[in-house]
Amino acid sequence: MIESGEKEKLMELLRERLVECGWKDEMKALCRAYIKKKGTNNVTVDDLVHVITPKGRASIPDSIKTELLLRIRAFLASAAL
Amino acid sequence: MYTNPKPCKHLADYKLRHGLSGYNLLQEQIRTTPSGKSSVKNHQTEIPRCCFCNGYQKRLYLCLICSSISCSSHTLLHSQCENGHDIAVDIERSELYCVLCCDQVYDPDFDKIVMLKHLMDLPRSGNGVDVSAGRRSSKRRRLCSALELDLKKTKQLVSMRDLRAKSCYPLGLRGLNNLGSTCFMNSVLQALLHAPPFRNYFLTGQRNHEVCRKRSSDRLCLLCDIYVFFSAVFSGDRTPYSPAQLLYSWWQHSANLASYEQQDAHEFFISVLDGIHENGVKARNTGECHCVAHRVFSGQLRSDVTCMSCGYTSTTYDPFMDISLNLDTGNCPSTDLANKSLKPSDNTYVSTLLGCLDLFTKPEKLGSDQKFFCENCQERQDSVKQMSIKRLPLVLCLHIKRFEHFPVRRMSRKIDRYMQFPFCLDMNPYLSSSVVRNRFGNRMFAFEGDELDTSTEFEIFAVVTHSGTLDSGHYVTYLHLKDQWYKCDDAWITAVEEEVVRASQCYMLFYAQKMLYYKANEDLVCQPVSPRADPFLPIAGCC
Repeated sequence: MIESGEKEKLMELLRERLVECGWKDEMKALCRAYIKKKGTNNVTVDDLVHVITPKGRASIPDSIKTELLLRIRAFLASAAL
Repeated sequence: MYTNPKPCKHLADYKLRHGLSGYNLLQEQIRTTPSGKSSVKNHQTEIPRCCFCNGYQKRLYLCLICSSISCSSHTLLHSQCENGHDIAVDIERSELYCVLCCDQVYDPDFDKIVMLKHLMDLPRSGNGVDVSAGRRSSKRRRLCSALELDLKKTKQLVSMRDLRAKSCYPLGLRGLNNLGSTCFMNSVLQALLHAPPFRNYFLTGQRNHEVCRKRSSDRLCLLCDIYVFFSAVFSGDRTPYSPAQLLYSWWQHSANLASYEQQDAHEFFISVLDGIHENGVKARNTGECHCVAHRVFSGQLRSDVTCMSCGYTSTTYDPFMDISLNLDTGNCPSTDLANKSLKPSDNTYVSTLLGCLDLFTKPEKLGSDQKFFCENCQERQDSVKQMSIKRLPLVLCLHIKRFEHFPVRRMSRKIDRYMQFPFCLDMNPYLSSSVVRNRFGNRMFAFEGDELDTSTEFEIFAVVTHSGTLDSGHYVTYLHLKDQWYKCDDAWITAVEEEVVRASQCYMLFYAQKMLYYKANEDLVCQPVSPRADPFLPIAGCC
């Protein structure tokens, strides 16, 4: 799926959906709050990734998950032919 | 403002030893999507994998020295194996990473190289970015002219009139009588009276009404009438003034709005500025108009329309005298967040001015009925439009669109929703330089549009509020003078606490560039007679 470029397309679509529903803004706000708490000089990108990732994964709307799953299945089905 | 962050020790070492060679080699491999995301695509068909664990699902980093790929768990291992291999590039994002600091690092040289590649790949247009040395715009000149409209003369006038002032209130505070549903006019006039460069123009006699040609031939001249109006209000006389001549003069200009019906304050504002422009100095053919209305209020908007297929961007510039903003309601167009505490019916979201400005500069997908003809693809494509501010005016008027019109249903209604607004406003995030820069991710470099010596900080000086319904409403203006707020309700002027202003339903917000605001307020001399003794003492003759 990666080789055909389909993954890239789906990633683009996912990004679009996550921005639309405000998920990205929510994550941004969480990052800001974390940085404020720790102080700007005491935070690295790695820290943020470790802290935000579980929260991010948990708060993805079901509709987006469903949509992506459907598309992946459809692609796999068509590729198997 | 963008100041380059200091590189970490490891990045500095790397630069000393390798200079730009690593970046240059990398440049060839960078690919950018139409939406602006730059990634390192080394192997067209192979999937990049970590050389230690063969994983491909975490963030992957490409070593700048030996090009080996490690995932986020193994970058440190690589650095331990190979001495000095401390700087890597995040493959998916084209961002520099220091393995030993475990953090993203920034280098303008690197970002420049990424941007250059991006621009080279773009179809024809530079996506609105010109990395070559920015031209020094006429902004310098504008700032100088703003200072010209300055206060040396006003200082003299003020010290003389001080003696006549009956109270300790600042000059230029005078009630305006309602001449028959003219609160829409009074409210805007109060704001104009205290727009620093506008006020100075009329008070320092730059408008020489003695030799006005129109007046001498007995015709009406809007500018002269405004001059007379300013003189009357700043004369020191505190009894409420009736701006009848000005009203009549304005009626002549905007015949279609001449009636005793309630009008829209924003419409009046635009119409008055238009009247000043028409009556004033004739615009030169080359570029900007130098009438006082334009010098004070005009700015420039930038509109970018990007084709979603190929990334080609078409940019246009348009002047503006004010910005009309839609209220941000916090509603997402599609699905609700999975966050359980936010129910669809639970609308506790508070609209803010910054939210409205964010909405204004947000990329907007154009509907399928508005497909844009892309020059590069040579056909109509789905596209994204984004607005930003290319040049800020000296005085920024923000109009909140509270009146909704439904032409199909032949109905209009007013949106009463409360909107929070700040007293100090930094417009930097809404400038074209910031907005366009953000499209390319976290890049640090000097930008063509960067107006490095312009201030983007504004101070509020007037708020026009509306209460009531569309048909029967009332306008009131709050003025911020010398750290005190005053409520101007037609003929009645009272000092009020700032909480009152914050809680009001704003319709038009007037912000002046910070420097101009503070200079203007220095000169509104006021005799300090127990300033806080009577906070609600009305100035108007009655009551």
